Formats: sequence, C-alpha cells, structure tokens
Amino acid sequence: MSLLEVRGVTKRFEGLLAVDGVDLDVGEGDILGVIGPNGAGKTTLFNCLSGLEAPTAGAIRFRGAVLSGRPDRFTRAGVARTFQNIRLFPHMTVFENVLVGRHCRTHVGLASAIGRGPKFRREEHESEDRAAELLGFVSLDQAGDVVARNLSYGDQRRLEIARALASEPGLLLLDEPRAGMNAQETRATADLVRRIRDRGVAVAVIEHDMRFIFGLCDRVAVLVQGRKLVEGLPAEVQGDARVIEAYLGAPAG
Amino acid sequence: MNTRKPPALAVAGTAALVAGSLSPWATFAGYPGKMSLGGFPGGARLFCLLLATGAVLFVLDLGGRRRAALAVGIGAAAVVAVNFAGLMDHGGGIGSVAWGAWLSLAGAGLLTAAAWRLPAGTPAPKEWPVLPVAVEVAAVAAAVLALLGAVVWGLRINESSRFVSFLVFVAFVSVAVHHLGVFEALGVLFARRQRIALVLGGAAAVAFPFTQQGNAYWIRVFASIGVFAVAAIGLNVVVGLAGLLDLGYVAFFGVGAYVGALLSNAALTTVHFHVPFLFVVLLGGCVAAVFGLVIGTPTLRLRGDYLAIVTLGFGEIFRITANNWDGLTRGPNGISGIPDLAAAGFDFGESHALFGVTLPGFANYYFVELVLIAGAILVFTRLNDSRIGRAWVAIREDEVAAAASGIDTIRLKLMAFAIGAFLAGCAGTVNAHVTTQVSPDSYTFLESILLVAAVVLGGMGTVPGALLGSTMLFVLPEKLRSFQDKRLLLFGAALILVMRFRPEGLVPSKRRRRELRERAPEGVPGLPGASGAPPGSPVAG
Amino acid sequence: MRQFLQQLVNGTVLGATYGLIALGYTMVYGIIQLINFAHGEVFMVGAFGGLTVYRYWLPDSLASNVWVALPAVLIGAIAVAVGVAVVMERLAYRPLRNAPRLAPLITAIGVSIFLQEAVRLFYPGGKRQQAFPQMISSGTFDVGGVTVPWVSVFVVVVAVALMVGLQVFVKTTKTGKAMRATSQDPESAKLIGIDVDRVIVVTFVLGAALAAVAGVMQGMRFAQIDFRIGFLAGLKAFTAAVLGGIGNIKGAVLGGFLLGIVEALATQYVPHGSSWKDVWAFVVLIGVLVVRPGGLLGERVATRA
Ligand SMILES: Nc1ncnc2c1ncn2[C@@H]1O[C@H](COP(=O)(O)OP(=O)(O)O)[C@@H](O)[C@H]1O
Ligand SMILES: [Mg+2]
Repeated sequence: MSLLEVRGVTKRFEGLLAVDGVDLDVGEGDILGVIGPNGAGKTTLFNCLSGLEAPTAGAIRFRGAVLSGRPDRFTRAGVARTFQNIRLFPHMTVFENVLVGRHCRTHVGLASAIGRGPKFRREEHESEDRAAELLGFVSLDQAGDVVARNLSYGDQRRLEIARALASEPGLLLLDEPRAGMNAQETRATADLVRRIRDRGVAVAVIEHDMRFIFGLCDRVAVLVQGRKLVEGLPAEVQGDARVIEAYLGAPAG
Repeated sequence: MNTRKPPALAVAGTAALVAGSLSPWATFAGYPGKMSLGGFPGGARLFCLLLATGAVLFVLDLGGRRRAALAVGIGAAAVVAVNFAGLMDHGGGIGSVAWGAWLSLAGAGLLTAAAWRLPAGTPAPKEWPVLPVAVEVAAVAAAVLALLGAVVWGLRINESSRFVSFLVFVAFVSVAVHHLGVFEALGVLFARRQRIALVLGGAAAVAFPFTQQGNAYWIRVFASIGVFAVAAIGLNVVVGLAGLLDLGYVAFFGVGAYVGALLSNAALTTVHFHVPFLFVVLLGGCVAAVFGLVIGTPTLRLRGDYLAIVTLGFGEIFRITANNWDGLTRGPNGISGIPDLAAAGFDFGESHALFGVTLPGFANYYFVELVLIAGAILVFTRLNDSRIGRAWVAIREDEVAAAASGIDTIRLKLMAFAIGAFLAGCAGTVNAHVTTQVSPDSYTFLESILLVAAVVLGGMGTVPGALLGSTMLFVLPEKLRSFQDKRLLLFGAALILVMRFRPEGLVPSKRRRRELRERAPEGVPGLPGASGAPPGSPVAG
Repeated sequence: MRQFLQQLVNGTVLGATYGLIALGYTMVYGIIQLINFAHGEVFMVGAFGGLTVYRYWLPDSLASNVWVALPAVLIGAIAVAVGVAVVMERLAYRPLRNAPRLAPLITAIGVSIFLQEAVRLFYPGGKRQQAFPQMISSGTFDVGGVTVPWVSVFVVVVAVALMVGLQVFVKTTKTGKAMRATSQDPESAKLIGIDVDRVIVVTFVLGAALAAVAGVMQGMRFAQIDFRIGFLAGLKAFTAAVLGGIGNIKGAVLGGFLLGIVEALATQYVPHGSSWKDVWAFVVLIGVLVVRPGGLLGERVATRA
C-alpha cells in the first residue's frame, strides 16, 4: 500500500482549472519528481497535498487515512513541505525556526508551560536536541544563533528543509529546492534529498532542472495544464514524445 | 581605558556650565527653585550641574563617548531652554532671565561643540564580561535603586517647569547612558541574574509606598496604574506576542469590573451573592476569558486589521449593552458605593502603620495589585519562552508558514485572546474596589486606545515596556496639569511620532525591534529611505 | 406601511452619507490596504471647513443666496478636507508604507485623535455644538403620506451624482485606470511606469473630497456639527465599505444604502430600538465579516492569500 494516495484531485480558481483530476501515489522511501511547464499547477497540487488549499474535488489519503481540513492537520499526519518562494520566520533565529517545526510533536499546554514542571523541561530538552541534530544534518550547526533573514539563499533553503523535517514527516514535499543555486549547491541538494530518503522519509520534489530530476528520482510525473500527462521511470519519461512536445509547445520555464 | 587631557573647549564649557548653575537665573523672585539666588543650586539648575559631571567623558576614552557627550551638551542646553521659556513666561520678557542662565547656556553650547569635535572613536562594546556574582548583583541593585530614586524624585517635583526640566534631564541622561552601552549591558545582566533582578525589582515596588511619608496622593495614582498595568501586560500577550491588534480590549476589563461590582455586596448590586474575593478575582478573569473565546472564535480567521475593527465593534457593543441592560448593570448610572475589601478582619480601606510609616488605604490595594502583576509577569514570560510563545511569534511572522509547520493557528490565537482577556478580567475586579464604582462610560474606545498606547509606547512584547507605558500614561497627565486641556492632542501626536520614529517603543523586545526596523520589501512599493530613523535615535523618542 | 416607507426614505438619506464616506475608505484600502481610521475625521474637518467659509468669508448679502452660498461652502469644505488628507498621507502614512500593518493603523488612530482635538481646541467655539447653515429651504413635501424634506432630496441626488461621477472617472480617465491597475497589482503597476505615489495621493484627494461633501450634507440635515461627528460616521461608513466588499467602489455605495436602511428600520421596529441605534452597524459589521469576509460584492479576504 502506498504512503500517499491522491485520487482525482482537482482545484478550480474561478474559471481556471489549475489542477485537473490528478492521481498520484508515493510509496515508502520513494523519491518522486514532479515536472511541468510554468503554470502547470505543480505548486497548486502541493498546496492541496499540504492543506493550504482545499481541493475542489478528489481525495487525499495518507497512511490510509483521509486528509482534510487545516494545514496543521496535514503536518501532524506526517506531510511536511517547503515553499517555492522561501517562507521562513525571518526575524527568528535559525534554531528557533527549527524549534517551531517541533510544535506539532510537542504537547505541553498552558499550565505546564507556566508551571515549568519536569514534563515541560523534558520535552523542551528533547526538542532542542532534535533541532540541534537536524541543523547538523543540513550543515547549519554553526548558524544556530543567526537571524534567519541574514542567511544566504542556499542556507535559507536548507533551513526550510530542517524546519520541515523537525515535524518528523513521513513525506516531504519540496517545491523547487534548487532554484537559484549553482551547480555545486545543486549537487549538494540532491545529496541532501537522498540522505533524507535514507532517514526513511519519502520525498516528492518539484523541479525544472531535468538533470537534477532524472538523476535523483525513482519515478517522475509530468503535469501539463493541470493534468498528469505521464508518470513513470525517469528513462521512460525522458524519451516520451508527449513530454517533449508539451515542453516545446510551452514557453520555456 | 586611556585617560586623555581634556580639550580646552570642554574645560571652558564645563566651567561655564558649573558657574552658571551656581548663579541666579532669574531677575525676579518667585520662580520655582529660588532662581533669583546664587550659591547652592535649586530647581532646574541642579540638573545642569549634574549634567556637567558628564564632562568626565572628555577624560575617559569610553566606547561611544562622542554621542554620549553630545547628549550631555544638548541636554544641558535643553534644560536651560525649557527654563528660558518658563522664566520669560513668569517674569515677562527676556529681561527676566539673569546672567547665570546665559552663562549656563553658553557653557552647554561649548560642551556640545567640544563633543562634536571628539573623534567618532570606538562604539560601545557589544559583549560584556561575566563579573563575579557579588558585583553583578550589586549592579542590578544599583540599577533598580536608581530607577526607584528617579521615580520618587520625579514625583516630588510639583512645579510644571521644573518637572519638564526633570523629564528633559532624564531623557538626555538616558540617551547618553544608552550610547555608552549601559542599557545593553544591563539587559544582558538582568537576563543572566533574572531571579535576583525580579526579587529586587519587586522589593523596590513594595518599598514605593514607604517613600511617600504617609501622603496618599501618588499611592492612589499608583493604585490605578497597578490595575492598568495588569491589563496592559495582558494586552501585550495579545498584541506584543501574538500580533493581534485588539481595539476593544477594555471590554474585558469592564467585564471583570462588573463581575467584581456585582459580587461586592454593594448596596446597589443586582446580584446578592457573596464569595471570597480571591474567588471573585478568578471568576472575573474566567468570565472575561469566556467572552474572549466567544468573540474570538468567529473572528480570529480574519486578517489583522479587520480583526482590529471587529474587536472595536465588540468593545462598543459591550459598552452600549452595559448602558441599556438596566436589570443587571443599572444602565448609565452603573453600580456605585462598592465597599472596600475586607479579609480576616483587615479592612483594605483603612490606613495602617508599618515600620513607622502610615500607609493609606490605597497602599493595600497597591500591594494586592503587585501580587497580580507578579502573576501576570509569570504568565507572560513563561509563555513567551515556550513552544506556545514561539508559535505566536511564528504566526506573527508568517501565518501560512506557521500553519504549514504544524501550528494550529486558530487555537493559538484563541489562547492568546483568552489569556489576555483573563488578565484584564482579573484586573477589572480589583479596579471595581479601587474606584468604588463601575459605569459604562469608563469603558470607551478611548480607554482601549490608552491600553494599546501603553503597550506600543512602552514596547511591544516586553513586560518592562508595558509597566513603563502604563506608568507614563498616568503620571504624565497628573504632572503636566498646565497642559491638561491639550492632553489628548499631545497623545494623538505622540502615537504618530512614535510610530514614525521609534515604532518598537521605549523598551523593545529584540525581535520586535528587528521586525519593525528592517522592513521587508513586500507589499506596495515604497519610497527609498522609508526605513525609519537611524539606529540609536533618542531613547525618549 | 406608511411608517415603513418613511423609514425607507430616512434610511436612504442616511445611507447616501455613509456611502460617500465609505468610498474614501474603500479606495484607500483598495490601493494601499490601509484602514484609514482618520477618514471619519476628514469628513468632520470638511464640515468645519464649509462652516468657516459660510461664517467668516461670505458677505451677508450673498449668504442668503443658495446659488452662491452652497457652492462656496462645498468648495471650502473640499479644500480643507483635501488639504488635511494630503498632509496626513505625506507626513503620517507615506513613511510607513512598508512597515508592518499595525504601525499605520495605530498612526491612523493617532491622526484621528489629533484632528478631533485640534478642532475642539482651536476652532472658535469648537468645544460646543456649532450651528450649521441650512441654506436650502427647510420645507418638506409629501408623497403618499411620506414626508420628505427638500434637503434629503438634495442629499440623495448629489450623492448619487458623485458616485456615478466617480465610477466614470475610474473607468475612463487615465488616472482612474492607473488607480485600478495599482489596486490590482502595485508591483506591476510600478513596472509599467505608473507613478504609484501620485496615484495614492489622488486616491486620498478623491476620498477626502467626497467625505467633505458628506460633511456639508450632514451639517445641513442636522443643522449642527461638532468635533465628535467623525468617529461614529466614520465607523459606520467603514462598516458600509466592508458590507459591500472593501476595495470595491460599487460595493461601498451599495453597502452605504443598505446600512442606512437597516439602521433606520431597526431603530423603528426593534423594541427600544433607538437606545440601541448605534449597535446595528457593529452587528452588521461583525456578521458580514464572520459570514462573508469579502462583503457582498468583494472577493474572499480571509487570512490565506
Ligand atoms: N490563488 C490563486 N488564485 C487564482 N489562480 C491561481 C492561484 N494560485 C495559482 N493560480 C493559477 O493556477 C495556475 C497554476 O499555478 P501554479 O500551481 O503556481 O503553477 P506551477 O507551480 O506549476 O508553476 C496558474 O495559472 C496560476 O496563475
Ligand atoms: Mg510553482
């Protein structure tokens, strides 16, 4: 059984069908690539999968249970994400950003937060340990006290990933994680995605960089004008005539 | 730290300032501070003399001394200028200003010029060494004592002109000290020695009534400040931490006050039911919190500025309801004649003698309020430093990202709303007894704005900010009676100016300061250079 | 039935004023997403501007001539309101253009208090009610048993004419189109060479002018004004703007008339209606924002965007 099952998800904005009846499956340990021309509806699909947009139709099941409602429920269920245009908490420190990601895995309420009982301290220590470990994982352990907005672009992207991982997801959605990076940083990002998978987290990643996608993913889905055109192994998708046509027929992106 | 030979300009300036301050400033008798006499300086001249001690900055090579010295020079000039205006007003024309004042002004000018010519030098240090515990505790104690001393001193000053001089003096000394990095260092120190600082701060607050020598006037004012401060801390949870602007917050205070009044056994109450006061306080808080939840549940989905107006609407609805619901609230007349509290034979309205000082009845309420403030501070600081506080900040910074990071934004906003309302409700119950009457016209929109102003002027997201803001909003109007009629005008202008030049308030939280100073280039394209005042603008904003 | 019709007429007249003020809120919000809390005070200051012209500048011989006095009063009102609005935008709001949202809102509250107090303290006799000239005959006429004052006819006619005029301006003139472009996408508007600062000033000017006319109308209807009239009128007009869909010009007009009518009817038909008179606007405001935050004609404006 797959980790994530997407069935007939559709999102309509007034006249526009941004996502049109998409089916998708992501299994445990998968790295799924999602490609498509600009405006194809990739981000909108991710928005539906992370609860930021309610689909007009269709169903999303994660670990067998139907997902709906506000975004925090998706995150708690185990779907975390990053954003195409980075959305950190700009005036919090790097370390605090990751701690915020721990929110849905911690539970102390008002009373214990005010009373500072042993439970509070245990949980807080645990969160701090995890956050420190994650910062090491994305090689930001030197930057813990830096204010997030002062990080370089690439570091901000990695911090966003660390924050997402802090919620202990089963599936991580990455929206154009290498945008604006040079070749070396791109390679490091691919490597990071593999290491994330090795932690047991499945990954779905949107990218325009074909070499990145085809070198990294187990399977690739192509979205064009809201519809899923093809899905398959990188080699299959790469040679598919329809995909080439869709890209040639669309403005470069 | 090197010592240097002071420049001649500074020596001359200091000499002139000192000499001028020891000489008469007025050609006529009757100006506050015996200004027509020489010798030991009275009135505002003392402030000039004290500022003259700033001349040591020309000898000691401290970091940031240039700006500090400038503040000293300009401050002295400003003190003289205030009194020039006062002297001419009292005496009539420029002839009423005696040579001492001119000499002081010249001295202040020379000092400013000398400061101007100082090299920019090193900035104040950012990192401060860890000193032995005893030294650090002593420093904290000295700071707390200085604050208490300044407050007591300021309150003793009765004449308007002298009080304005005092304000100018304190403001410029603060700026000078700020440029030397002292406030920064104290911030670090207070954070490191938090327990001690709290205990000493509390002790100073308890000591305050004993400094009034049995005089009830300021104790009564501070009894009003106390309740207001509790509410301001509560509002600071909502505005400062969660970033929700509540323009009808005074309604929660009102709910608490009505609960307190109705359960007070007042002759006019419509509810004849009596319970211990501690219980009333908690009940008032809880009823207010329930109101907060009821109001918040449908509205907290709204964007910030819409929320502000909706809360304003609820505030007005509360007031109009209280005005019309005669059966419960007795309408526009309200409930008056609320009796003093009494517990175990102790009557809160009576004055008591303690350590040889007579404490008027208001002091009893003041002490009760201190306990309440302590509780509010505990709630505020501990929540701020927990997963809940971090979630609030996250929501404030980017609500979408916060939700996507697993934060139940509605629930957390409701929590902030309810806590804020709870604290205001508790404060309200006490206030019913302090003012002995409760009526709808005490809970107008303007009162809500005053609370917002206390938080904004003092500093969003900090406890000292809320305390300072509340104190200023009560003490300044009392002191500046000659501006009585222009109070609100100045208040409106102050809101505009603070937002323009020091939006983070007088005692900002670090993060708030970052948010308000470094503006993200989002939204409507703006003008270049719209980024507010340069860093290090006057503390007195 | 007659009573109902009478309240309908009253509500329409009330709504014309709300609608005119609401236009200022809605246009400013549409362009810079600021709830210009001080807009109610611009309305009030406008009324005082008109009064000043009538009282101090018009010679007695001309004051009784409607065709001279009324235009003069309107021009005075508009001049003062526009002046205040432009200064306010330049000094208070523009420096905060990129600040977090709460900062300009608090500034707006400060401006509001400042203007009220300035009029109270510095306008001759400003602490008390000031008699406002009626100018138009205080007579009435009857239609099917409903009494209609001539002033009301004037108010509604002028308001509707101005609303139509504004709509034409925004739809057809170059500046109007620049306004619409800016409200839809300020970044792109700037890129295609629109002077956004100028557009913002024009928006404030138009809003102020309409509010000033509303101020004169209010003065004529009640024959008196004071420094407090801006607060409630402003809040109600804001409610009207939200009701119609903030940022939407037609919505502000619709919201104004609807709110006026609701208020008139509620005052008449709800028990003790008149002592709750000022509550209805808030109830409507909250109801709309909770049920349909985008208003009747607006789009969704809940938190997500
Ligand atoms: N909130 C929205 N309202 C209206 N249209 C939208 C919205 N979000 C996205 N769209 C439209 O949906 C289409 C798909 O956009 P998007 O998912 O961002 O594409 P991609 O990420 O593949 O480049 C685009 O035409 C875009 O304009
Ligand atoms: Mg995209």
